Amino acid sequence: MALLRAEEQAKVREWFAALERPVELFVALGPEETPRAGSGDVDFGGEMVRVCEALAELGEGVTCRAEEEPEGFPRFPAVSIRPHGRDAGVRYDGLPWGYELGSLVGGIVEAGRAEPTLHPDSRAALAELDRDLALDVFVTPT
Amino acid sequence: MLLAYRCALTSDRVTATAIEASEFPRLAEEMEVRAVPRIAVDGVPRWDGAVPEAEFLRRVLSATPARG
Repeated sequence: MALLRAEEQAKVREWFAALERPVELFVALGPEETPRAGSGDVDFGGEMVRVCEALAELGEGVTCRAEEEPEGFPRFPAVSIRPHGRDAGVRYDGLPWGYELGSLVGGIVEAGRAEPTLHPDSRAALAELDRDLALDVFVTPT
Repeated sequence: MLLAYRCALTSDRVTATAIEASEFPRLAEEMEVRAVPRIAVDGVPRWDGAVPEAEFLRRVLSATPARG
């Protein structure tokens, strides 16, 4: 089954063609937690690779590679969205399916921008940050 | 989600992770995920739902650091 409909693929190709820097999708594979009932017999790791490889086919600036149990990943599967191949702390843990595929695509587009798109006031506030901050956003595939 | 990603891409101090709640039910239970998006700062659940950028930053930056 195709990951995206033809018109969605065209849109994503357009966005990826406009990337100002390359983005690597680094897929971390490993032992998976048993998901909630109803998820069926899904190979989440295999699907994650399939999704990321399919996205990488939509833009020359997007690449994908996978590793088994790399350090620093508490959950599997996961994908680290890396501008210029650098770990910028941008991740998606779990398989981004359905509506949430948009979050992964959006993350790639954001990582591909040369300049941050936050409001100058927000950038100034973050520049004054004197401690590390971990933001976790819980989502569901709807 | 994109606001959190933008923060991480702006500051090396910030990491942003989307977590698929149904795939990690134990963590989702621990974080008392009843609605999405649920935002946690430094491992502490803070609020549910999308908010504008300025409010997002205000909430994130005013969150009391978790005790390590």
